[in-house]
Amino acid sequence: MANGTENIAEYSGTEQALDPDKLSFRGITDKISGITERRTPPVWFVAFGAAFSLFLVLLGSIGYLIWEGVGIWGLNNPVGWGWAIINFVWWVGIGHAGTLISAILFLLRQRWRTSINRFAEAMTLFAILCALIFPGIHVGRIWVAYWMAPLPNQMSMWPNFRSPLLWDVFAVSTYFTASLLFWYTGLIPDLATFRDRAKKKIKKLIFGILSLGWRGGNRQWRHYELAYLILAGISTPLVLSVHSVVSTDFAVSILPGWHTTIFPPYFVAGAIFSGFAMVVTLTIIARKIFSLDHIITLDHLEKMNKIMLLTGMMVGYAYSIEFFIAWYSGNIYEQFAFLNRAFGNYSWAYWIMISCNVLIPQIFWVKRWRRAVPVMFVASIIINIGMWFERFVIVVTSLSRDFLPANWDYYRPTFWDISTFVGSFGLFFTLFLLFIRLLPMISMTEIKGVLPQADPYHHCPGGHNE
Amino acid sequence: MNKNDKKNGQKYWQSLDQLTDSPEYRRYLLERYRDGNGEPDNSFSRRSFLLLMGASLALAGLAGCRRPVEKIIPYVSQPEEIIPGVPNYYATSMPFGNSAYGLIVECHEGRPTKIEGNPAHPSTMGSSDILIQASILGLYDPDRSGSARHKGGEKTYDEFVAFWNSLYEEFSKNRGEGLAVLSESFSSPTLARLKNNFTGRFPKAHWATYEPISDENIFKAIKNITGEDLRPVYHYDKADVILSLDSDFLQTESENIIAARGFSEKRNVAKNGGTMNRLYVVESAYSVTGSMADHRMRLASNQIGGLLIELAKHFRDFPEFKAINTSGGFDQDWIKSLFSDLIHPRKIAIITVGRNQPFWVHELAFAINSALGYMENTISLKKIKDASLPDRKSLNDLVEKIDNGSVKSLIIIGGNPVYNAPSDFRLKSALKKLEHSIHFSEYYDETSAVTEWHIPRAHYLESWGDVRSADGTLSVIQTMIEPLFGGKSDVEFYNLISSGEDRKGYNITRETWNDIIKGGNFETEWRRVLNDGLLKESSLPDEQFKLKKPRSSIIEDISYAEFKPSKDNLELTFQASKLYDGRYANNGWLMELPDPISKLSWDNAALISPATARELELNNGDIIQISHQGRRLEMPVWISPGQADYSIALPLGYGREFAGRIARGVGFDTYKLIDSFNKFLLIEASVTKTGRKHNFANTQDHNSMEGRPIVREADLLEFRRSPSFAKEMAEHPPLKSIFPDHDYSRGYQWGMVIDLNACIGCGACTIACQSENNIPIVGKEQVSRGREMHWIRNDRYYVGDTDEPQIVHQPVACQQCENAPCEQVCPVAATTHDKEGLNTMNYHRCIGTRYCSNNCPYKVRRFNFYNYVKDMPEVIKMAQNPDVTVRSRGVMEKCTFCIQRINRAKRNAKKENRTVKDGEVQTACQQACPAKAIHFGNVNDPESNVSKLKTNDRNYDLLGELNIRPRNSYLAKIRNPNPLLKGYKPDNV
Repeated sequence: MANGTENIAEYSGTEQALDPDKLSFRGITDKISGITERRTPPVWFVAFGAAFSLFLVLLGSIGYLIWEGVGIWGLNNPVGWGWAIINFVWWVGIGHAGTLISAILFLLRQRWRTSINRFAEAMTLFAILCALIFPGIHVGRIWVAYWMAPLPNQMSMWPNFRSPLLWDVFAVSTYFTASLLFWYTGLIPDLATFRDRAKKKIKKLIFGILSLGWRGGNRQWRHYELAYLILAGISTPLVLSVHSVVSTDFAVSILPGWHTTIFPPYFVAGAIFSGFAMVVTLTIIARKIFSLDHIITLDHLEKMNKIMLLTGMMVGYAYSIEFFIAWYSGNIYEQFAFLNRAFGNYSWAYWIMISCNVLIPQIFWVKRWRRAVPVMFVASIIINIGMWFERFVIVVTSLSRDFLPANWDYYRPTFWDISTFVGSFGLFFTLFLLFIRLLPMISMTEIKGVLPQADPYHHCPGGHNE
Repeated sequence: MNKNDKKNGQKYWQSLDQLTDSPEYRRYLLERYRDGNGEPDNSFSRRSFLLLMGASLALAGLAGCRRPVEKIIPYVSQPEEIIPGVPNYYATSMPFGNSAYGLIVECHEGRPTKIEGNPAHPSTMGSSDILIQASILGLYDPDRSGSARHKGGEKTYDEFVAFWNSLYEEFSKNRGEGLAVLSESFSSPTLARLKNNFTGRFPKAHWATYEPISDENIFKAIKNITGEDLRPVYHYDKADVILSLDSDFLQTESENIIAARGFSEKRNVAKNGGTMNRLYVVESAYSVTGSMADHRMRLASNQIGGLLIELAKHFRDFPEFKAINTSGGFDQDWIKSLFSDLIHPRKIAIITVGRNQPFWVHELAFAINSALGYMENTISLKKIKDASLPDRKSLNDLVEKIDNGSVKSLIIIGGNPVYNAPSDFRLKSALKKLEHSIHFSEYYDETSAVTEWHIPRAHYLESWGDVRSADGTLSVIQTMIEPLFGGKSDVEFYNLISSGEDRKGYNITRETWNDIIKGGNFETEWRRVLNDGLLKESSLPDEQFKLKKPRSSIIEDISYAEFKPSKDNLELTFQASKLYDGRYANNGWLMELPDPISKLSWDNAALISPATARELELNNGDIIQISHQGRRLEMPVWISPGQADYSIALPLGYGREFAGRIARGVGFDTYKLIDSFNKFLLIEASVTKTGRKHNFANTQDHNSMEGRPIVREADLLEFRRSPSFAKEMAEHPPLKSIFPDHDYSRGYQWGMVIDLNACIGCGACTIACQSENNIPIVGKEQVSRGREMHWIRNDRYYVGDTDEPQIVHQPVACQQCENAPCEQVCPVAATTHDKEGLNTMNYHRCIGTRYCSNNCPYKVRRFNFYNYVKDMPEVIKMAQNPDVTVRSRGVMEKCTFCIQRINRAKRNAKKENRTVKDGEVQTACQQACPAKAIHFGNVNDPESNVSKLKTNDRNYDLLGELNIRPRNSYLAKIRNPNPLLKGYKPDNV
């Protein structure tokens, strides 16, 4: 993948991003493998304990939900969807950054992605797992939720292919499968490294199986890189399609505030926005704890901040164009829906959304703040809060006040709405902590590939052309 | 295999019992192989062992899947008239105060499940109201009393009979000295006969009749001016102008069903030569009738008499009124315009006064009605026969007699006087002074708790008896089912106390009818009465209205208090609520039905006007203490636009202490404030804020239409100018769909039209639907979370400013869209279109994503958030309609145009090799509607009623601009304001 003259120019970029003085091939291997090989640090156990407790909260909440019914949530008659769907869309959105970084930036030869892609991909998978819980459990009869799948049955009955919920099932599961394959493919050379370094037999066996007989031969590399390229190609449209399809849950309906053609691009931009915010949050923690400053440098973070600034303005544009279209449409229901968002009974949520998603990212115009870790850490969290509220505003305000005013009602979450959402973080972090403990959280192979030493034209002490 | 069989005997399982090795099967084996020789071979060959194991594994879940074994007892001889699955319909009557309603009851395999009005009966004309519809649930109420009690301990009825017989002997000797009866009012030949027997046997006994809510003032007024016991029957179907003074004649006054029918017929512009009636309403609290008004004046109830005097001043017949000064400061223009309308030479006018108004207001109103000269057209006066009329004084006398010791034993027949008698009677303490007290009632209630004996009373559907309805028509109460809880019917109890004999109600009733049916074969005629539900041509003739007193003498009785309510001198009025006087308090359907005006479900509230609320600094839910002459009550307020200022309306019937699981502790007992003298209109009350709050369950949070074309309305002149105004109220681009159309050109295509000009908003449709479609009660907490389950709801919007708003009602059920948004989004295709245009629900397929509900612009879909039928008592299950699935948890449900009724009609038509006739299928809501606002039928048949209505100018589709093509359409509302009145129309309709 990395040859040809055009790469030389890029290297100058990478050289800034990675600190060559601290990095050697061996150093990278030691550093990354070492994280999983050393004794588990106590802080990991503390974190894992906390995350796992939250995961138990999720299980408990789901158990009670199945026992009692969705009545335990705050849903009511006009507001048929609440936190469950908001959480679903939010988690799916977060799951966007991983594949975007891996696939699209890969195709665009944005080589700075190498430090964060593994990380982001893992985050994607876990976020999608969290997301997938919600559509499954939010239905009234959880035990027959599988009827949404096109399974053969004695009634020879198909699901309704006109329903966007069904499209969701396909879109999200396809995305999950592709992301999983992509992630796993990327892991193979690193798993082989782990296998080679493993001292215990069982570990060697497991990594041996997982690395699928990787030997690092020239042919293998050629096939591998081609496969990776193809997967990147397959994944790229999925990044755009999955949230577009999720947005059709809303856009295809006739509800004012949902029924909008702008939703697919707007949702994709929002998803990238929140996905990058989540990557930044997690990256900052990980690089701090595992001292990875020299691999995930400020340049990486700054680039992500720039993307957040861009996508933040895209969603800001979407917010404003919705108002224009509502006015321009001449449709009284549309006009009301948007005025109600900004000034109605849920205006507090709207203004939280605007502040978090449109105003806060503007600080990244300032280079100093763009490179200040505490600033971006707080901002990234705020952005994700804002993105959660965006979904809240879309789902709840539109439903709570629709066509006939006699139906209007106010939606309030209950304890169980909140515990299920909080619990989903438990699942996310449990998986994430297991990941950073057991697998290479940074792609050793790809980092090595972008090191100056990997450049055939690189002049280094002891180099072959010396 | 055969070899195996020979070697080891058979190893194939004979039955599922054998496979699952149930105890029954083991016992069977023991019996069969008892002689040892035939003992089954326990040695398995390996092969047969595997075979069995395989089969066992395959069927391992079987034991868990099997339903509990229930013994089925077939009929030894099949009753001729019962075909399982096919309902039978019987006529009966529901006694109600001094009146009765003729009904048809649907029975499935011997259990009544649904009540309809009897089309042949003049009291219902095939319609019904909320109380009638809900009474079926009362039959199955598990909280009804199940046994006689003596001082709280259970006794048998026979023990009571023995007790009564000893008392009977005793009182027979002294001709009833010291004996008293407190009865409800009734109108029934048999009961009247038995009452006569009683007073004949015990001439010295005191008989009191008390009803908390009654027409006593009206009867008294008519007696004052004519000298006779007569009752008025209003003919609203003939009146062009109606003035209602505090009279909710469409909902809570007597004979409301035929009033609503007559009123709505006269409002039909097409059938009245392009015009319609005009309704003036003067009232303090917004009522259903007030919401139909063309002109409504809000006025404290105590000032209404003054307004009538002001009106009378305009008549030449009442010169003596000119001298009276009323303090009201009434709008003279309003009165003048009203007067000119009333005396309009081509219009027949009617003035009706509410039962809460003092009798002199009724007298004056009758005098004016008589002066108008249309009495014979609009109000018939009928003799009151076979009745026991309510008389507050008789209760007062009774209490006095108990207090001075001249009454020692009291029989209370029905009613719940400890709860609902005026508190200054101190009935509860009086009852404790008695030697013997007996209470005959359906529930072990507040009164039963303080009486010595309690005797369970049967529901009217469990009883034999007879009634005379308002116009005098005689009908029989026919029993539908044996008493479920062992109660005794009214006639049986009356017979016991009057003769000491415990006889069957059937025989007692027939005895009376032996005298009533004259000529012909008794058995044939009796059967005809049972079949028809009434005795034909038994209504009483109109009596001539003769003023006994000269008109001027009415004035002598008018002690018109100079009343002007203010912040410190508030007026209290008491209204019959949806629970009536509290007797239906344990009925969950009624409890959960939103009030037609306030939309409060479950609780009652002190209703105050927005201006008064501002002045007293009150908000919805603030608990206030209301004080009146030393009596105090704490209850929460609800701000009701259109309420008269400084007047507080207090619905009756709530706050029951000794009641069943539904009623207990719900709402506030407003009887505690009632005064025996002025009864339902009190003045000089004061209010203080307690600082505490109460949470209400309100089903409609938003009261304005926000300028949207939802209920489309015009006044008559506008309508004449542009008849299709309703269609022009919504603008939209050309309606095109991306989906191909269904073929709706063949077969039946069901459709509905709801006439908003007829609908009075009473809620009968909601309860009828609840009864027909097994809709669960969800409770106050769930309603307050917006999860009520009613398939047809009544939206109520206020129009105009908050102090003087108009009200419009709009019943909304599933609109059965042809381009249904719900169908498209269901991922499992659980809601689909059938070829007759119905948007059907497949409950078994539904997984509960609620997407359909989100995408429904009318929000008529209802979701089972919990298993709402989980805790349903066994006996209430008997009230369920077997033709309709009971929905489980997690399933969406909604109106399907009573598809079970459609299918029944189609089956019947197919058997007779014909098509379904127009009007043969009636939906439950349509059938119940007293105003006949709902029309249903085949829109593919151009001759059907519904097709014709859909071509009406006023016809419009609600939210039709969304291109969902609802099958249900509305006829726009028309009001008929008086053009002479300035500012008659609210600004922003």
